This record gives sequence, C-alpha cells and structure tokens, in this order.
Amino acid sequence: MSDLPEKREGFFEKDQSRRDFLKLTGTGLAGAFVALTLGCATTVRTREGNELRVWKTPEGAIVHDPNRCVGCRRCEVACTVRNDGKASAHIARIKVARNLNYGVAGVSAAYAKADGQLGNFRIVAETCRQCEKPACGIACPTGALTTDKKTGARVVNTKVCVGCGACHDACPWHLPTIDAETRKATKCLVCNGDPSCAKACPTGAIRYLPYAEAERLLWGAEVVSGATV
Amino acid sequence: MAITYGYTGKILRVDLSTGKIWTDDTLKYKDFIGGEGMAMKIMWDEVAPGTKPYDPSNKIIFGTGPLCGTGVPCSGRTNITSLLPSSPFYGISSSHMGGYFATELKYAGWDMIVIEGKASYPVWLRIEDDKVKIEDARWMWGKGIFDTQAMVASFMGKDAQVAAIGQAGENLVNLSVIRTGSSHSAGGHGGVMGSKNLKAIGVKGTGSVKIAGDRSAWAELDKLMMSIIGANNQMVVPSTPQPWAEYSDKTSRWTARKGLFWGAANPPVETGECDPHDMQSVGFRTMKAVFDLGPQAEKYTVRMGGCAHCPIRCHSQLKVPQLSKYGFDEHVSNTCMGWFSPRGVMFKGIKAFDGMNADDSAVVGTAIGAKLADDYGVWCNYGQIGRDLQYAYESGILKKVLPASEYASIPWDKLEKGDATFLVDFYERVAFKKGEFSHIADGTYWLAERWGFGEDFWNGKVYKVWSRQGFPVHHSNEAGGQVGALISCFSNRDAQNHSHMNFIGSKLPIALQKEIAGEIFGSPDALDAPADYKPMNEYKARFVKWSLCRTMLHNSLTLCNWMWPMSVSPLKERKYRGDTALEAKFYSLATGIQMSEKELDEAAARCFTLFRAITQRQMGIKDLRTAHDQTTEWVVHREKGKDGKEIPQFTPGTIAMEEKDMELGRTLVYREFGWDETTGAPTRACLEKYGLVDVANDLAARGLIPV
Repeated sequence: MSDLPEKREGFFEKDQSRRDFLKLTGTGLAGAFVALTLGCATTVRTREGNELRVWKTPEGAIVHDPNRCVGCRRCEVACTVRNDGKASAHIARIKVARNLNYGVAGVSAAYAKADGQLGNFRIVAETCRQCEKPACGIACPTGALTTDKKTGARVVNTKVCVGCGACHDACPWHLPTIDAETRKATKCLVCNGDPSCAKACPTGAIRYLPYAEAERLLWGAEVVSGATV
Repeated sequence: MAITYGYTGKILRVDLSTGKIWTDDTLKYKDFIGGEGMAMKIMWDEVAPGTKPYDPSNKIIFGTGPLCGTGVPCSGRTNITSLLPSSPFYGISSSHMGGYFATELKYAGWDMIVIEGKASYPVWLRIEDDKVKIEDARWMWGKGIFDTQAMVASFMGKDAQVAAIGQAGENLVNLSVIRTGSSHSAGGHGGVMGSKNLKAIGVKGTGSVKIAGDRSAWAELDKLMMSIIGANNQMVVPSTPQPWAEYSDKTSRWTARKGLFWGAANPPVETGECDPHDMQSVGFRTMKAVFDLGPQAEKYTVRMGGCAHCPIRCHSQLKVPQLSKYGFDEHVSNTCMGWFSPRGVMFKGIKAFDGMNADDSAVVGTAIGAKLADDYGVWCNYGQIGRDLQYAYESGILKKVLPASEYASIPWDKLEKGDATFLVDFYERVAFKKGEFSHIADGTYWLAERWGFGEDFWNGKVYKVWSRQGFPVHHSNEAGGQVGALISCFSNRDAQNHSHMNFIGSKLPIALQKEIAGEIFGSPDALDAPADYKPMNEYKARFVKWSLCRTMLHNSLTLCNWMWPMSVSPLKERKYRGDTALEAKFYSLATGIQMSEKELDEAAARCFTLFRAITQRQMGIKDLRTAHDQTTEWVVHREKGKDGKEIPQFTPGTIAMEEKDMELGRTLVYREFGWDETTGAPTRACLEKYGLVDVANDLAARGLIPV
C-alpha cells in the first residue's frame, strides 16, 4: 500500500478501515497499535502531521435471507422496543416495511411481476452492513458515529448527534434514520452482539454472522442478503 | 398533548359531505378498550336507529386497539364496524382484516378513523402522520383492488398501506369486502365505503407506539407468550408424530414436518420438525397451503404469509404458473374461506379441466376464484353464497326468476363439468351487478325474499343457514355442542368467534381439555367430547359468555381471534396449560393502566352488552330471545344415522341440538350477562353496573327496557 493519507476537507483527514490501517502500520505510522487497542473510531496522526481516523473492523453484521422471510416484521419491533422503548417501523434498524409490498425498487405498473407481497412475494429486508469505511460515519458532521467497543458496530452517540440526517443521506441504502420524535439518528448497533431482530425472527431468516462471512453474503457475487439485492 | 402509551390518543374524524377533518380524544372512550368496543360506543352515540347502511349519516369506523402496533404476537388486525347491508334490519356488525394497515395507522398517530357523510365524487383518503387529505379518486373508480392499491402507493410511496374496495363495493353489492395487502379481506362493509364515494384509504406513519412498562419486563412477557403460542387456531399438537411431541392429530393445522417444503421457494425451504422450544421455527409450523388445498399445493407454495407482528403465518402464498393462461398474474395468496368460497360456488366440484389433471385443476381453479373475488372485492357471507346458488339452481328457482335469455347466457355447462372458468363469469355478474342473477350477492335474507326460497332451504341442513337473518354456521353446534351453538345466536352476521375454537380445537386429548376447561370455567362439564354431547349446564353458559367477551376483547385490543386466547400451550412441561391472563398482562404493561384479567373481561362484557343494546334499539323489539336469538329448525332436529334411523339428541354420534335445551342455554347465558332471563334484553341494573346509564335511559324511553 503506497498511498499515504491525503489532506482533504472535512472533520477528519482520511477515514480508514482497520484492515487498510494495518497495512499502513508498516509504513511509518506512529502509535498505530495504541490506537487499535482503544477499540473505537480513533483519530491518529501520521508522521507527516495528517489526521487519520481508523474504523475498527466489526465483529459481525446482520444478514437477512429473503427466501425464508415471511414478512411478519417482528424484527422491527423487537429492535425498537429493546433499543428505544417504543414500537416503530420507521426507525427500526432492519428495514422490512418499506419493501414489504413492492420490493426495494418500489411500485411500478409491473408490480404484479416484481418483488413484494403484491408481486412475487419476495420480501427483502435491508440490514446495516457495518461497512468497513462507513459512509454514515464519514459524513457525520459532529463525530456522533463511532464504533462500539465490544462489537465494533458503527453506533450513534445520541449525546453528540444533532439529527441533521447526513448519515441517512450518505448511506447508499439510507439505513440510518432520523427519529422524528427525538430528532436523533438510529442505526443498527447489533444489540451488544445479541441482536433482538434475529431472536424475534420466527423462521431464522435473520442471522448475526462473523464479519467475514457476513461480508461474503452481503457483498459477494452469490448474494442472498436483502441488503445488497 | 400528553404522552400516551399503547394508545396513540387520537381518533381521526372525517366528514366526506363537508370535507371537514378533525381529531377526537381516544382516551375518553377507554372504558370501551379500543377497536370494536369503542366503535360500539360511537355508533350508539352518533348513529340514530332507522339509519340505513348506505345513508350518508351511517358511519364506518376503522379501529385498532392499544396492543396493535406494539409487537404483541398476532396484533395486526383492523376492526371495521358499521351497519350491515345484508342484514334484514341492517344490524350493526364488525368485519375484520389482517395485514399491515392497522399497525401503519398506529404509527401515523391514529387509534381509529371514523368516516361519515358522502363525497360528491369518488375520493380517497390520504393519511401521512398528522397530515390528512381527501384526494380525487375519479380515475381510480372502476379499478380492481390490486390496481387501486398500487395507484395509491404510487402517490404516497412504496411503504404506504392501503385499504380499498373493488368494483363490488363501488356498485353497492351487499356482499362486498374492504381489502388490504395481498389477501386480507373484511367482509360485508365494502358497499358502505362505496356509498360514501370512498375508494381507498392510504396510510403512512413515521411515529411509534410507546410501551409504558419496563423494556425487560416486556421482553419477558413476549418470551412467555412465545412459549405458549401454537399453530394457526392455537392448535398445539402436530399433525404427524414428532420426536418432541407426546401427541399428534392428523386434522391439526400444525402441519410442518420433515420432508414437507415450501416447494416453490428458491431453493425450497423445509418446514421441518418445529420443536416448540425453537423460536426460529415458529413461522414454519402452519403450512396452511397443504391443509387448505391438499398435498398438491406443496409444489406451488412460495412461502407462508400473514399479518404484522404475527409469527404464525396462515396465508398461503402460491406461484401458480397456469394462471397466466387465464390472464391473471401467476401469484396468488389467501387463507381459509378465501379458498373455500370459490370452491363453494363450484358446488359440483372442480374437476379436471383445460387439459390439466384433477389435482392441478383444483389448485388452479381455486386460485382463479380467489383472484377474482379479491380483485373485485366480493364477499361470500362466510361461504353461504355458494350454497345459495346451489339451492336456487337445483330447486329450479333460478330458471323461473331469471329472464330466459339471461339464464341461457350463463355457462352452466362449465359448472356441471367442474370447469372453474365458470367463476370468471360468476364474479363478473356479481361485481358489476349484471342482470337479475347478481342478486345472488344481496345476502341470503334479501335473496330468499326476492326469489321466494322455500322452507326446504331454511330448514335444509345441507344449506347450513344458522339464522333467519341469513347468516350461516361458523363453528357452531359442531364446536362444543351448545357452546358453539349459543355463541352463534348473538351476532348479526356469522359469529366470527374463535375464542372457543382456539381452545377446543387444540387437538389435545379430550380428557386433558376437560381438565383445563374445569380450571377456566369451574367444571370439566363445560366441555363435552366431540359429537357426544350432554345437556346444557351453567358451566357451558360461562364458556359461551367468556367466548363472546374474549372475541369482543380481541377485536378491541386488537388481537387476532384466530389465535387468541391462549388457553393451552404445546409444552408438556407447562402441562399444556396456556395463560388466559396474557391479554391483561400485555394491556397493563403497554398502556400503564393496570387491569386484571377479570377487569378486562368485565370491560369486554360492557362492550358486548352495548352491542346487544344497539341491536335491540335497531330492531325496536323487547323480546330478543324470540326475535333475534333463534336458530333455523334443522339445528334442533334429530339427525339420521347411516341406518336411516333418527339419533336422539345427547347420544353419541349426533351434533343435533334440542329445542328446550337450547332455550335453557339462552336463559343461562342471559343470566351470566345479567340480562333479562325471559327476553334476553339488557336490564337497567345490568346497564348501570357497566356505567351505561344513558343507554338504559334511552332504551327505557323507547319502552324497550325489561320491567
């Protein structure tokens, strides 16, 4: 890896995944291992004086199987009752409701042939991939998105979040959502490694998998996950 | 506005005549729980006796309850209350749909919608959180329900949930539905929406339902509930022997087993053993496609679907490629009567047609009917429409009442041959009110009067008419003898009551069921073995009252009465006991309003008594026993055995009721409710006990209160 961090606009000079960062450590980064042991999104400084933020690799991510999903949406409420003390589809960190009737693509004249309950019955839940370089976290103007110390999930610090929606806009799948009642962002925090959504699923369609395996399903060529389809 | 828990706290009011939209406070009605109970109160207060279903002054109420939207298992249902066009006195009644409409309504911030008046041209109602608008529906009018839903979603976004009517509702067909999603119908009130020029309601909500109680207490209660829940209709015994199961019963809806697949999933998904301790297989238990449509449906099954927050999936979602030959999309979804009613119209059976074998023809033919009925929005009066047709056809009445040319234009040869494309013609005539034949969907009472049906119809066991009001059996005398029979005597449509069925249909051995019945109702004599009935007793009357009130409770909370109450469990370590206090536990935790099981049952009895009072006021009679609560005669006639000899009642092998015993049954049920034991009318003391003083005064002023 020859490309050293570049100076750029924004709150941080450069966002790095842990894996990229480990590759960089051999090229003269001071304090690299110290930074990694901190466990969260950590800002370090290169020898050249550039700031670098390092995103810890998540322990795992949630993967959904449209072939087994029955669309009951118990996952959504299991998520929000546990994490927010209220039941809601909009702020649920796993997104079934918005794809339930007409699929990810949405309603069209050919709805009867397309995904969803009003089409071919295929239900795609979108889940957070806990991206290595999280667009949500990179876009956050207040640094409210950081990594969970235990799981490495990209989580919202509600004390710092200002509810601007930059994370929602930046995520290619618009998974982070602003709770209209609290004006704070919600995004998947994998429930301390024991996700409520997976436990509530009556068909085992939701699994919390080690990151490498999840990555393969979420990003691979033979994709079955709702998040990528 | 103060934060409310369970309830959103707001009722949406819409007057389509004036275009006025306003908000009412839910909690002023909280003594009536929610959904159906609150609707009864609003209908009592605001809809005058003498109002007809299609009058602008009639109201139609879409109701949810405090548990809807919270995630309580099986809490996705919408209760719809209005006057019923097919009833001879336009009796107040409720229809119910599952799906995702009710939860969306809660998340938009509304517990109920009350609609009155009549728009001057076709409209649809658009609800986006607290933004509510009446929109022009002129270009949607005339469309089927599937296209209508897509049109509304094209305006509101893909995440909108829509309730709509089809052509049947537009054309004021008495037997028409309101429908949402892929297969969730509420029967009987489609025409009321049509009469108001209201094509659809679209709703989108970004809000929430707040839980008053502690999060971990809520999670624990959910865990308890999930250990008690069974398969569809709370059947807790599998249909085939399983390694984990002590019992099996081949008639059970718990059909999952190794080697049984959702065969059209890609790749196919095995339903499997479904050990009840495994929370990740609950959704596989009810493989309803093979239960409803036979083993040939396995290969067509993409998955099982259902309603919001329900782990029990009772809707079969099929891919039937042959449908495209008939101009339909190949995907079709339905459950129970949604499949059976087209089969009922094909009363000579669906046989091999169009070159298909008999098995495939049965699935394809049924699917054609389900698609048509669902898109046009035709109701079947719980399967009665097919038996009405059978009588009219076989008695020769149809030939007499239809003009010769019209009679000749109907493809009777297809009906005779078992060619299900007969249904294409049938449903079109019904939905578009084409010709005299279309009166087949007026409802049995009006139809029988118009076409002069004879006593052989009313008293013919084969036609299954339960009441002279024109509604049929629905888990009646075949279900617990007098318990089911009496439950069916108090409604203004088919009883739609599964509180008793979700217990006695559990498939547990009868001795065990009787033991549990003893714990709930005070004596094992509350329940008899199937077709081995004993005379009426007070414990059966308690069972009847409990069932009537629990169904009212479920339609008010709103919980699915096709699963609740939870009287039994699949777990041996629980000694197969359920928990009949679960509704009260969830209610208290969700709302923060502490209610015991007894208190909640009392609140439901208040709602049911109010329903009774509205019915009495509508009929304008003192004696409900004689004028309302009677059955047709076949119910109390001795059945004949295989040898042709009559079987006396209360001997094994017959489900026939006995007249005097049924009258005693009515008396005992009236006593349980505190109603007048002679007439069955609510007494002043009873009404006052429930806080219904205004109701007592109104009935007294009309001379209807028992002296």
